[in-house]
This record gives sequence, structure tokens and C-alpha cells, in this order.
Amino acid sequence: MHFDVEEGDQHLKIVVPERRIDAAIATQFKDKLRPLVMKSKKPVHLDMRLVDFMDSSGLGAMIAVRKSLPEGMPLVLLSVTPNVERVFRLTRMDSVFDLRCAPAAEGGAA
Amino acid sequence: MTPEVNPHPGRQGCALGRPRPMFHRVLTAEPGHVRETLAAVRARFQAEVGTDAIGRLELVLAEVMNNVTEHGAGDRPRAAPVIHLCIVSHDCGLACALTDDGRRLPVDCLLPRGLPQLTGEDLPEGGFGWYLIQDLTQELCYYREDRRNFLAFRIPLMRDAG
Repeated sequence: MHFDVEEGDQHLKIVVPERRIDAAIATQFKDKLRPLVMKSKKPVHLDMRLVDFMDSSGLGAMIAVRKSLPEGMPLVLLSVTPNVERVFRLTRMDSVFDLRCAPAAEGGAA
Repeated sequence: MTPEVNPHPGRQGCALGRPRPMFHRVLTAEPGHVRETLAAVRARFQAEVGTDAIGRLELVLAEVMNNVTEHGAGDRPRAAPVIHLCIVSHDCGLACALTDDGRRLPVDCLLPRGLPQLTGEDLPEGGFGWYLIQDLTQELCYYREDRRNFLAFRIPLMRDAG
């Protein structure tokens, strides 16, 4: 698992390279991402467009990552897909994370 | 595995109608096998039930099977439980049954529950799994027989607003 990190003027942009953030990789995900963000002096933008599944283990890893940012430093989740947004919403974690949802999926399947 | 249409339903029965997909698999409770199984479930039902219902089904099955994977072996870490999963699609939703030979499910998993407290900076990193299972299923029931856990529930095709 390799995170692509792009240091912009305004923020640190990191692309999540996985399609699934699940129990199989939650620990690895957390352990690799935390060192990248814990000393960030800019808001962190996490690009979630590739992620189409997240379970509660994955949610726990996302929460751990958020908690590892310096106090007060924003974490923005970009292009969150509907299947992942559901988990944040059902657990009320959408009130804790700054979610920017992906545009409607291709074909707009109901 | 597609069920055959019964041309002569019994007097007590009802016509089975068009064939519906079913799914059955036996797997050891390990993260890689859970992943493979979820992908196979998605492939089997996606066209039948649509994106939203398949997303809810996959999440619930992941939570249930992850629990067996993480806790089922108990203090016998080399003895991964064996899970039997069966899913049937019908008019009212996706009927699911799972059995496993792992440790008994703690009673409080099935008690009505809320979300972990979200107050303050010390956010919880766990405790969401059974909440999600309870929230997304209907007719959730559990029993233990001999050395096996039996868990059954239904994923409705339509999710009520709210």
C-alpha cells in the first residue's frame, strides 16, 4: 500500500490507493497513513475516489488517522463514494469528518 | 446456482415465480476469504437488487463475518471457525443465514444499542459493527445449537427514508 502525497501551497493532498478499507487492511492503512499526517502543518485532503467499500474496521482506522492530526488541523475527505458515505452517515461520523461526496456515479444506478 | 421453477406448487405453497439468484458458500473465517466471498456475493446479486441494497448487504455480511474472524476462535487462535453462508433473494429482500463453529456470541451484541458516545475529542475507534448490523437488518435472530452459532436476518430491498 503506497500513498501518493502531493504537497500543495494550501494543503497536503493524499490519494488513498485502495478500493476497500476493510478489516483485512485497516491496521496497515492506519499505520502507514498516520506518520504522513501527524506532523502536517497544512490541512490534509484525503482523496477517496478509488474507495468503494469501507466497513467498521475501516471507519475505526479513519477515526484513528483523524485523531493523529495536530490539534485543530482539518482533515477533508474528497470524492467520497456513496457506499462509503453511508457508513459515515449511519454512524453519525459525517458530523465529525468534513466529507465532500463524489458526483453521481456513472449511469446513476438506483 | 439458480433455483428451478416449481411448475406444480403444492396446495400449501405459492408459485415460485421467476427464478431468483441464491448463494451458498463455506469458508474459513479469515480476512482474505471474507473478501473473496463478499466479491462473489456482489457478483451474484448486483444485477438483481441494485446498487443501494447490495451495498447494505455487503456491509452487514462484512461486519458479521469480521466478528467471527476476530472473535470466533477465542483462545484457540489456530482454529479459525468455519462459516456457512446462505443468501436467497425474494420479494421482501435478501434473506441471509450464517452459521459458524466459533465461540458463542455474547448476548449484548444482540441487545438494542445506540452509537458509541461521540462527545469530546476522544472519538471511539470501534463499537460500530453491531450497531450497523442492527440498523441495516430486519428480523435479526440468533440461536446457539450444540457448537454452532446461527444468525439469520433480512436486508430489505428498499431502505426507509431517514
